[in-house]
Amino acid sequence: MEAPGRALKLDPIKSIKKAPAEEFYQSGHRTCQGCLSALPMRLMAKAAGPRTIVLGTTGCMYVANTTYMSTPWVVPWMHTQLGAAGSAAVGTSAGLKALMRKGKMKDEPINVIAFCGDGGGADMGLAAISAALTDIEYNLLIFLYDNESYANTDIQTSGQTPWGAVTTFSPPGKKHRIMQRRWKKNVPGMLAAGHPDTKYIASGTPAIPVDMMDKVRAALSAGGPTYMHVLDPCPKGWHYDPEHSNELGKLAIETGIYPLYEIKDGLCKLTGVTKQIAEGKRQRKPVREYLEKQGRFAHFKNQDYAYFQKKIDEMWEQWLIPGVVAFTYGGPINIAGEEAKIRNRNVVRENASWVGMAGHSHEEFEGVSDEPYEPWRDDNEMDEYPNALPSTGQ
Amino acid sequence: MPTGREAGDSMPGDQDTIEGRTSTEVRDEAKSVEFTYRGIFQKTLAANLCKHVVMAARKRDWLGSTIQRYSDSPERNGIPAKQFAVIAPDTETLEGHMAKYEPNELDVITVLDDTMCDGIESWAWYGRQPINVRLRRGGTLLVISNRSAEELLKVIPRKPWDWTLAIVPGTPSMGGLWVYRDDGTDMRVLGAIASARPDIFGFDAISAVVKDDESLDNRYLDALRSGHDEVSVYEVSAGEGKEDDYEPVKLPGWKDMREAIIVEAVKPGERNPHYRSSSDRTMRPVVNFDTCIKCRQCWIDCPDECFEISEEELHPINYSYCTGCGICANVCPVEDCIVMVNDLEFVEEGDKDVFPMWEDDKDAYHEWREEKIARGRIDHQAHFNADTWAK
Amino acid sequence: MTITIPSGGVQQTEKLMTGTQAVAQAVRLADVDVMAAYPIRPYDGVMQAVAKLIANGELDAEYIVAEGEHSQFEICKHASAVGSRVFVGSSGVGWMYAMESLAVTPPLRLPVVAMIGNRALDDPGAFGVEHNDAMCVRDLGWQLFWVEDAQECFDATLMAYRVGEDKRVSFPVGLGVDGAFITHSQALVKIPDQKSVDAYLPPYDLGDRLLHPDNPISIAPQANEDWVMEIRKQTDEAARRVKDVIREAHADFRELFGRGGDNPFFEEYRTEDADYVLLGMGSLGLPAKVMVRRLRDKGEKVGFIRLKWFRPFPDVELAETLGRFRAVGVVDRDYSYGSPSQGGVLYTDLRAALYNSEQRPRMVNFIGGLGGRELTPEMMDEMAFITKKAYDGEEVPDVSWIGVRE
Repeated sequence: MEAPGRALKLDPIKSIKKAPAEEFYQSGHRTCQGCLSALPMRLMAKAAGPRTIVLGTTGCMYVANTTYMSTPWVVPWMHTQLGAAGSAAVGTSAGLKALMRKGKMKDEPINVIAFCGDGGGADMGLAAISAALTDIEYNLLIFLYDNESYANTDIQTSGQTPWGAVTTFSPPGKKHRIMQRRWKKNVPGMLAAGHPDTKYIASGTPAIPVDMMDKVRAALSAGGPTYMHVLDPCPKGWHYDPEHSNELGKLAIETGIYPLYEIKDGLCKLTGVTKQIAEGKRQRKPVREYLEKQGRFAHFKNQDYAYFQKKIDEMWEQWLIPGVVAFTYGGPINIAGEEAKIRNRNVVRENASWVGMAGHSHEEFEGVSDEPYEPWRDDNEMDEYPNALPSTGQ
Repeated sequence: MPTGREAGDSMPGDQDTIEGRTSTEVRDEAKSVEFTYRGIFQKTLAANLCKHVVMAARKRDWLGSTIQRYSDSPERNGIPAKQFAVIAPDTETLEGHMAKYEPNELDVITVLDDTMCDGIESWAWYGRQPINVRLRRGGTLLVISNRSAEELLKVIPRKPWDWTLAIVPGTPSMGGLWVYRDDGTDMRVLGAIASARPDIFGFDAISAVVKDDESLDNRYLDALRSGHDEVSVYEVSAGEGKEDDYEPVKLPGWKDMREAIIVEAVKPGERNPHYRSSSDRTMRPVVNFDTCIKCRQCWIDCPDECFEISEEELHPINYSYCTGCGICANVCPVEDCIVMVNDLEFVEEGDKDVFPMWEDDKDAYHEWREEKIARGRIDHQAHFNADTWAK
Repeated sequence: MTITIPSGGVQQTEKLMTGTQAVAQAVRLADVDVMAAYPIRPYDGVMQAVAKLIANGELDAEYIVAEGEHSQFEICKHASAVGSRVFVGSSGVGWMYAMESLAVTPPLRLPVVAMIGNRALDDPGAFGVEHNDAMCVRDLGWQLFWVEDAQECFDATLMAYRVGEDKRVSFPVGLGVDGAFITHSQALVKIPDQKSVDAYLPPYDLGDRLLHPDNPISIAPQANEDWVMEIRKQTDEAARRVKDVIREAHADFRELFGRGGDNPFFEEYRTEDADYVLLGMGSLGLPAKVMVRRLRDKGEKVGFIRLKWFRPFPDVELAETLGRFRAVGVVDRDYSYGSPSQGGVLYTDLRAALYNSEQRPRMVNFIGGLGGRELTPEMMDEMAFITKKAYDGEEVPDVSWIGVRE
């Protein structure tokens, strides 16, 4: 069901020819040649349309865009702090909702999108994003553009920097060749696994633009808090000739390093080339083909390529869902059935220790509405819980 | 941002020039050398050059300091940026040139990519500034280029006094942040400075610095020598060059600005009027509108929103904002439908839209296009530049 | 502390480097054990330089890239509590993000050394110099020093460890380094050898405050109104001891390395017979000195005082010096909305310091150079001109904003 305050309904675009021509993020931004973090701003705004408010955290898409008292944004935009994407989105959405509900503002669907880079989002702002994704009463999209570094400060390691990559915090030297030894966190999967009420979480890339725009529209139409993560090849931070931005984005997917997927209403689907790889229709290209085209891996030796390949192989061969859920499952409950089920309601749990016990069987809940409990409804039955007095705090 | 240069201020003129004496004449005061370069691609090259200027000046017991133009940072690929080396005979004189945004006047301006000669727009509100805007009277503009002085002076604005244009033959050396493009360009430029402006440092001084560095072998000394020998110096007379139509920017004052740090959004259908990214370009795309299959890949993949959609669903390019990244040429599925051409081939056309030219007379357009491609086609092969010794 | 000059004397090599690289060299020579880095300009050049030193084996230290400044500073605080010498830093709103950690470190009496690459606070996200960021901790027990150039960046870092770790003090020390002008420009810096730095800097020793199984203690149990005043009083007493420790550290530094000026707390430039002076902190000392030279050539008797230690505030010393002049122009590269006279922070502190003085100069305040705007010698001329009017007894506003477009 929809959270109060309707989400804007946007149909999927499906093909380039059907993409709207209007731009809501325009030329005249001080971004690098070939910047594939600017392109998602453009595509996201294009997909969202004019009834949108954008909150932009500190980062490349702040300093390089709304640069020195000018702006490329056609839709309303406001700066927010580095780690504040989640809180900016909630605050904006809550503000609009209160005013509309109280009749102080015209009631209409307005998109609220807060964007953040991988530094601001996956590192500093992770707590706020997590909190926002539990606020199911608010319609919002948190859009993380991942160029795999703190790019605006001239490239430093973030939690999204690939293993071994050169940054100014991880330069190779005579004593240590590999200074960046952390494996990239899996953010969209982590958020999906941890926030079951979130209706839409997806991973995309501007290198595949229509898919990215359709995912933005699906997020905005889903209602409630949603999250998108896009991989942005960055010629400055990755060190390659700018004309190859689109090509490298595609290669990241073709090597299986960066997976495309969406989790919609509790159902996880791999999409695009990632899906083809999972179906066996396409072989993953060796990671070397992707890594050796970037100066940030120029110091790699065979052993480094081998390690990287091993980790990607592990992801595809051992993870419960490749690219999404980073662990395997050891039972005791077997997940039966070949068709993917919506929210496992129809899954038969064999060998579950509580089968037949009162209060635990699925059958017990037949007749109870599937709708989640809505505390904001007038008819909530507080009389049933006389001991639940409002707390006075500490 | 450069300060003290509000509208109404004259361009830095004789304020810091000792009356009547030009750049090369004055021996015992501070000298400032600017390196104008393509952001990121040439950042390390510029830093290396600045450092060497100071080390060479040390050989005659002068002191020195280098300055990064802070608002250039964070640098972006292709966006023109500047670094400076300031040298002086003593501490007090040097101190007068430190804690500065950038030097008021430059004795030497070195341009590491000649496609910047037609002006540079490094950030919003200042428009496209002339490459020699702060050149000191009698100063030297040193350019790495395979073009002649006549060609370059078609885009470099004139001055009301004499100055010199020095040209080191070569193509721009483009690297990146992690792998230094070690192709001898730094040495050639240093050798050229020593030849054209021995008052900055002499050839013996810079050779000594290079010899002191154990990591540099004979190739570097040879490159130093070749830069020194191959640079050609052209005396530019007062009034020679392009007309100087640069309007010093007038920034609004606090009484005129909107309160609470607010600016108007871009109007639908328009683009950001305060910042044009066109001076980022080393090369620009030229389209064959006849072989275009209207797949829209270029339009959708352009990070700078430069492609329009015409009535016939073709894609004219807005060159005021095209940064010359080359993605369109890379993603276009039709061979040679979009070709990248060196930006200095388009001096007459400037940033104007060429689509009307094609609409008017397709044959003339193709002739024009073929000529441009023949003169200045650029194809990139490698993904990131490896070391190839500069010619 | 008695200094033993190493046999063979002190060797110093000269190199061209930025202010942040100079701090990194001091960090190397101080054999720092743990560092936490987080990107924000303009301070993070120091962390980049340190990463290189570690990668090349020139420094052996733990180097952690945190996920935010709060964590960055907490990591260093705790490493310090188990006996590690630490180095950390930030700028602008990054420093603000660490605020909780900044507040708790002084009462724990942990001598964290932090470099603040002074940067304007958001909004707008300007990355040029303003002093407000570091000044925000001035009440909390942080010792604060402002440097003028890259050489002083190096020197002050060593002094910071020496002063902060002294057992009579044991406070965190912050170094204010003007963004861009000092952090991003290179200058010639003399770097001494390891032996002489070892002679200057004893090892970091927490004594019986070390958190270790061999020393069972509980650090900072929760306490309230019965205890807090006494704890604050102890901190206050320690804060009063810092000045003497600074005097010693400064004298030893001069003896070993030949630098530091006559006065540990401030530098006086051509003030001997001055009628009026300007006073300020940081890199603005350079255009100020250009102005003094130019005006002196024209016969004006003007001087400049560059304040180095902002905390502890050298009230007694400044009152004594400033009593010689009839007018003082205080240059604030910061703002303090709604303060007395709407004056800057330095001006307000200085007025308070002079309140009880018999000889009180007229004081005027200049607010300028905010958000990285250059302070030119011409602007200094303007400030001198106004200060001179004050000297002549004319009516001038208490506070003038210099270099703002109308």
